[in-house]
Amino acid sequence: MTSARRRFWCISNLNSGKLARWAVTLPPSLFLVVFFLLPALIVVAASLREPGEFGGLAPLFVDGAFTHALTLDSYRFFFGDTIYLEIFVKSFFIALLTTLICIALAYPLAWLIARSPKRRRDLLVLLVILPFASNLLIRVYAWILLLGPLNLLYTPVAVVAGMVYVHLPFMVLPLYTNLEKHDPALLEAAQDLGAGTWTRFWRVTFPLSLPGIFSGSALVFIPVLGMFAIPELLGGTGDLMIGNLIKEQFLDNRDWPFGATLSLLLTVAVLLCAGLATLAAKKSFKGTEAVT
Amino acid sequence: MMRRLLLCLLLLVQARPALADDVLYLYNWNNYISDATVSRFETHCRCTLKQDYYSDNEEMLAKLEAGAVGYDVLVPTGNAVESLIRRGALRPLDQARLPHLGNIQAEYRNPWYDPSGHYAVPYATSVTLLGYNVDKLRELDLPTDTWALIFEPRHLAKIKGKVTVLNSQRELMAAAMRYLGHSVQSHELAQWQQAKRLLLRAKPYWAAFSNSTYIKDLAIGNIWVAHGYSNDMYRAQQDALAAHRPFSIGFATPKEGAVLAVDNFVLHKDGRRPDLALRFIDFMLEGANAADVSNLIGAGNPNAAALPHIQPEIAGHPAIFPPAAELRRLEMLRDFDPQLRRALSRMWTEVKVR
Amino acid sequence: MRVEPPPPPTPRPGGGGDGGSPPISGSTRLARPGGGARLWLWAASLGVYAFLYLPLAVVVLFSFNDSVLNAEWVGFTTRWYDRLLHDGDMLQAAANSLLIAMVSSSVATLLGAMAGIAMQRYRPRLLPFLALTPVAMPEILLGVSLLLFFRQVLDLTLGLTSILIAHVTFSIGFVAVIVRSRLAGMDESIFEAARDLGATPWATFRRITLPLILPALAAGFLMAFTLSIDDFVITFFVAGVGVVTLPLQIYSMIKVAVTPEVNAVSTLLMLLTLSVVILAARFAPDTLKAKA
Repeated sequence: MTSARRRFWCISNLNSGKLARWAVTLPPSLFLVVFFLLPALIVVAASLREPGEFGGLAPLFVDGAFTHALTLDSYRFFFGDTIYLEIFVKSFFIALLTTLICIALAYPLAWLIARSPKRRRDLLVLLVILPFASNLLIRVYAWILLLGPLNLLYTPVAVVAGMVYVHLPFMVLPLYTNLEKHDPALLEAAQDLGAGTWTRFWRVTFPLSLPGIFSGSALVFIPVLGMFAIPELLGGTGDLMIGNLIKEQFLDNRDWPFGATLSLLLTVAVLLCAGLATLAAKKSFKGTEAVT
Repeated sequence: MMRRLLLCLLLLVQARPALADDVLYLYNWNNYISDATVSRFETHCRCTLKQDYYSDNEEMLAKLEAGAVGYDVLVPTGNAVESLIRRGALRPLDQARLPHLGNIQAEYRNPWYDPSGHYAVPYATSVTLLGYNVDKLRELDLPTDTWALIFEPRHLAKIKGKVTVLNSQRELMAAAMRYLGHSVQSHELAQWQQAKRLLLRAKPYWAAFSNSTYIKDLAIGNIWVAHGYSNDMYRAQQDALAAHRPFSIGFATPKEGAVLAVDNFVLHKDGRRPDLALRFIDFMLEGANAADVSNLIGAGNPNAAALPHIQPEIAGHPAIFPPAAELRRLEMLRDFDPQLRRALSRMWTEVKVR
Repeated sequence: MRVEPPPPPTPRPGGGGDGGSPPISGSTRLARPGGGARLWLWAASLGVYAFLYLPLAVVVLFSFNDSVLNAEWVGFTTRWYDRLLHDGDMLQAAANSLLIAMVSSSVATLLGAMAGIAMQRYRPRLLPFLALTPVAMPEILLGVSLLLFFRQVLDLTLGLTSILIAHVTFSIGFVAVIVRSRLAGMDESIFEAARDLGATPWATFRRITLPLILPALAAGFLMAFTLSIDDFVITFFVAGVGVVTLPLQIYSMIKVAVTPEVNAVSTLLMLLTLSVVILAARFAPDTLKAKA
């Protein structure tokens, strides 16, 4: 390759590299700005409005005049006493519990699938997701039938069981895609160095699978918080979660500003958690770099 | 040949929208009009009736509030009718085109939510009451005609964990208000606080808040007492009967009074076919057609001409068709201003959490 | 829909277990956990599969139950299937759901993969926030905000399109997370090597990135698919007049009666999904191989 030609390649690589960057960044960004960010801004604004006389939002203009200034009432109402914070804490606890149980159940399964012969792997993955092609409500009704005779229906146990059931694939799949890429040579090396099965797992496989655990946890923990159908159908008289509270504001109570406020506070809390988890993850990755 | 074929195709394409235009869009509760009635109407008007469903007034209101359009006829309950009127979401009815309007009983004409009768035509009613396992309650020697059954610990102690109440702030607090002798439309915060304390005292005895599963639970025998709607209780009763359960389900309006819900046909202001909508409403006002909903789901009926067409065991049930004296003890829910709504919601959250 | 990547043409960075170039048989054997652990792994996995399939067995069994109540076994019947085949509304709803799920999860997989790659490779500031917040936001808020946006800002007529857009919006984040976690910890040097050898970004993508992330794409697609086919809340808000999906149809039946007909439609839907996936897995490899 002549030097001129090489230079040409470098330049075109630079340009096409930039092009590639925009080609993958722009479409999803654009889509999400239009169909997520803009609509979400409406709701942020809604949390600062007053509820309408008969639901929805108070009209901004009455007879052509600007009538309702923005207000922090909904936020004041939230922080006015501890009851709503209590629900937040309780929901986070249930979400955490669900996530931990999901990790415990998903790990062996994901590992088994990742280490199975290629032919069998397709089938095993498919078997995980297949129950979810039926309807959520129907599966929950099946749980009602199963839990009823065990005297567990309408208890917190039923809520957690339902939550774990519904969210399990969101843990199995990320974990599986992570475990599937591990290099067997590493384990081999560990074995050559005299490490036993458990040592190999805890010192090699588990640290390497942390990114999978983190992304799976995000996809379980976060949706659990907003869920309301399961506490409603399987829970007893005390099993109120944030999801139910938010739904009540938008529907039963027709208080959109407070509903929007609750949703925003939840979103912020979740993103904070995610941020903290990422920080923690970065730290632990530093630890695993020694292994890789 | 080819050209003629193309012409035919073009004609077909053009003909289809013309046909599709004769469609009436009804936003309705599920199973609130029998298939037979729908096809009778479609033959009658030579048009198509398309239904979308909601399972709660609030779902319908939220969707409309956010700007959903395209529905000609809605079927809201009284309090929702008032809200829709006040928001300017409805189109006044041309009463001259409703010759069968006279079939509506006097008690249901010009209700408070539509005093001039310009907007709403009542279609079906239900009462929020208590359904119970007849045999079990007889065995335990418990009263069945009072709210005390779900609010008083002395009764509840015998049926702990076998009671469900509606997961609805409005309905459950209204029941407590009636038991305490207050109006369900009260604006007195102190009275609502009293109702909240009553609920908190009774809550440890309840199994769950349930809006839908109680029908099945009652019919199976999982629970013995349920707070719910008369048509649901009728259904639980029929289901238990059909499944040859070793017990029967009964339901009665508590003597302290209860909530009456009246569902109405109204026209949405953005509906494209008010002409078809009016024909539909008038068709549904005819006695035989109006009776269908009662026979289908055991709903009460405000239509006098419908009564002869309704099965006697439904028409004669005092909890479904309240006698005039009892009607006075029934109250409808009414929507409150935002401040009171927020205060009540706060109380309800407390009931759910504590 | 394919669950498995074809063997990548280049050696896989960071390993690849059994999925990579034909592994040395010894290393594969060693990579798997040893005897006792393997037994334990199988037992645990079977337990988890049982957990996933127990409610499903109830759903399928009760679709043949001769009882409206459907609380205990009464007798065998196929009348619910018979009734389903004559229930135009229900079939239409199932067809709509399937169509929406297929299209929206394909688009979401494409956009989500782009977002995942962009997030890992180029570290954009805004994109992670854009992709992850819809996951964190309560569904009802997303539904209301999208409906407000569609109607009052865009003045769009609600219909299939609005449902598709909404489903893509909430699925992108799920796919992005899983793709990103697959790429995380992969050896960057392989991409650099490809660049140094003069490969265009497109060639790098085709030959290296794509085979690497294929399992993540398949898993992401499956997640998006189940999210879409099960979604009630958001769909309820953005569905247009006369467009009904299966969850909408079933939820509206809660108040009246969920008959075994719903069990029947769930069973059929699962069978359909199963056969589609198996067919796809049968035919897809050849076409993909031909391209590669």
